[in-house]
Amino acid sequence: MKLLTANRLSDGLTIWYTPSGWVEDAAHAARLDDAAAEALQKTWAARETEVVGAYLIPLKDDGAPVQREHVREFVRANGPTIGATADALARRFQRADIFKD
Amino acid sequence: MYQYDAFDHAFVRDRNAEFADQVARRLSGEITEDQFKPLRLMNGLYLQLHAYMLRIAVPYGVLSSKQVRKLAHIARTYDRDFGHFTTRQNLQFNWIKLADAPKILEELAEVEMHALQTSGNCIRNTTTDQFAGAAKDEHEDPRPWAELIRQWSSNHPEFTFLPRKFKIAITGADRDRAAVRVHDIGLHARPEGFDVYVGGGLGRTPSLGHRIKTGLKGENLLSYLEAALRVYNRYGRRDNIYKARIKILVAALGPDEYARQVEAEWATLDKSRIDAPVVEIDRIRSFFPAPAWKTGFDAAAFERAKTADPGFARWLRNNTLAHRQDNHLSVTVSLKPVGAPPGDASSAQMDLLADVADAYAYGELRVSHEQNIILPHVAKDDLYALYSRLDAAGLGTANGGKITDMIACPGLDYCSLANARSIPLAQDISRRFEDAQLTDKIGDLSIKISGCINACGHHHVGHIGILGVDKQGVEFYQILLGGRADENAALGVITGKGLSAEAVPDAIERVVQLYLNLRKDESERFIDALERLGREAFAEALHEPA
Repeated sequence: MKLLTANRLSDGLTIWYTPSGWVEDAAHAARLDDAAAEALQKTWAARETEVVGAYLIPLKDDGAPVQREHVREFVRANGPTIGATADALARRFQRADIFKD
Repeated sequence: MYQYDAFDHAFVRDRNAEFADQVARRLSGEITEDQFKPLRLMNGLYLQLHAYMLRIAVPYGVLSSKQVRKLAHIARTYDRDFGHFTTRQNLQFNWIKLADAPKILEELAEVEMHALQTSGNCIRNTTTDQFAGAAKDEHEDPRPWAELIRQWSSNHPEFTFLPRKFKIAITGADRDRAAVRVHDIGLHARPEGFDVYVGGGLGRTPSLGHRIKTGLKGENLLSYLEAALRVYNRYGRRDNIYKARIKILVAALGPDEYARQVEAEWATLDKSRIDAPVVEIDRIRSFFPAPAWKTGFDAAAFERAKTADPGFARWLRNNTLAHRQDNHLSVTVSLKPVGAPPGDASSAQMDLLADVADAYAYGELRVSHEQNIILPHVAKDDLYALYSRLDAAGLGTANGGKITDMIACPGLDYCSLANARSIPLAQDISRRFEDAQLTDKIGDLSIKISGCINACGHHHVGHIGILGVDKQGVEFYQILLGGRADENAALGVITGKGLSAEAVPDAIERVVQLYLNLRKDESERFIDALERLGREAFAEALHEPA
C-alpha cells in the first residue's frame, strides 16, 4: 500500500491524495494499492499547475513508511513538531496513527 | 545605515517585476517547475517540507525600526505571525504562498529590502560583527566594507553562476564575533589593512580558512576579491556538488599555491576599473555616521535599579557589551527564552523591538549569527526602562552567551534537506538548564545544533556541537566537543556513537557537571577547561552515565 503526497503549487502546502481530491489532513489520505498509486503519481506529475513534486510513500504492514526518511514523512504528515518534547513525539510516533491501514 | 539611491531602487523594482512575471507564468502553466525552480531560488523562494519559505536578505545584519515593522507586517499578513532569524543574519518566513511572493517583495522594496542572492551559487549576503560601529574593541567599522561588497557582488555577471554558493564574513574588532575563519572568504580588518582568510567553511568538509594575505588596503579590496573569486570560478569543481566549495580547491592546490595564483591574477587586473575610488568609499562611509549620542549618566540611579531588581542586574551581566561611548552599552535581546525555538520572533515581538529601538536605541537593530537581536547603542540611563519593556514582553531572557543561548537550524521540522529535528532538541536542552542560577554558574558555553551535515546550525564550531543524523529512519545525534568560532577558531571533533534525542540532555548535563567539578575556578570557561584537560575526559562523560 502507498500514499500519494505532493505540495500544492499555489501555496506550497503539503497535500494528500484522496479519490475526491487533494486534502491537507494526512489522516484522510487514500491507501492505494501499488499499481493504482503508480498510475496516479504519473498522472499528477504531469499536472504541474496544481501540484508540485508528487511522490509515493510506501507503507509497511504496520502502516509505517518504509523509506529511510520515515521521520521526515511523519513530520510532513503531522506538521512542525515545535513545542512538543522529543519524548512526547517519540510516544506519538510509535502510535503511527496516520500511516495505519 | 545605507540608503538606496535611484539605481538601487530601479534595480530592485526591475527584478521584482521580472519575478512577478515569472510567478504568473508558472501559475498559468506557461513554464514548468523545472524551469521555474532556479528562478524562484534566485529570489530567495524555496519549497520546503510543508510550504514555500522566503529567505529575506538582511544586509550584514543591519535593520532599521521601520524595516522591522515591515517584517512584522509581512509575518502578520502573509505568514503565520512569526519569522525566523537565521545563522546568516537573515530572516525566513516559513508559510508563504507562491501567489503572494511578488506582493511581499514589493512591500520589502518599500523599505529597501529584498530576497536577492539568498540562494543559488552566487555571492550571498556578507555577514559581519553584530556590534559593528559600537564595540569598544573595534578599530574599523566593517559595515561600509560590507556595503561595498554588497554593491559589487549584486548581480555580478561573472560570479552569478559560481561552482557553488559563496559566503564572505568581515570583522573589524579584536575579538572575532563574525566567525571569519569558517567562511569561504573571511576578512579581518586590522589597522594596517585586511587579513584575508580563504577556504574556511563547515558542512560536509569542515575547514578553517587559511590566511593568504595581510595588510590588504581597503581601496584594493574589490580587485583582490575579484582575483580570488576568478581563480575559484575558473578551477573550482563543477562535476561534484560535494567538492565544489572553494575550501576543496584551496585544499587541493594548497593555500600557498592558491594565494600565488590569486596574486598572479590580481597583477593582470585593471584595478582602476574594479576598485572603488576613495571618494566612493567615503560616500558609503557617510551612510554610517555615529548617532547623536545622548550625554550624561546617572550612576546612582543605575546602581539603585540594579540593587532593586536582581533580574535587571543579571541581564546587564549577561546581555550587554562594552560600548565605545562610556555612557552607552550594546544590548543583546535574546530570542532564546526557555523552551522556545531559537531565533523565532512573533509579529508582536518584532513590533515591540522596533518600538524600543526607536525609544532607546536610535532606531537601529541588528541580527546576530547567534540568532539574537542586538540593539547596538543604548544609553546606560535608558537600560532599565528598556529591560522592563523587554521583560514584560517575554524578551528579557538573560542568557546571552550561556548554555541556553543555543544556535539551531530549522531542522527537519521545516527543512527538506534535514535528516533530524533540531528545534525540539534545543527546546529539551533549554528546559533542562532553565535554572538561571545554574546557567550563570556554568558561564559561557555555546551549544550549536544542525539537523544535517550541511551545518546551518554551525555544529562544528560549538563548544558542544550536535549533529542530527538519520539511521534507518530514526533520528540520532552525534556530539562534537571543542569547536569555537572566535579568533582562536577550532573545529569540534565527533565523540563516540550517536545518541537518541532523549539521551542528549542527560549527556550534556553529565559533561557540564564534569566541567564544574574539574574547572580551576569560575573564571575558567568550559572551552578553556576542555582545551586544558583534553576532549577525551569529557567524551567519556558523554557516553557513560556517571
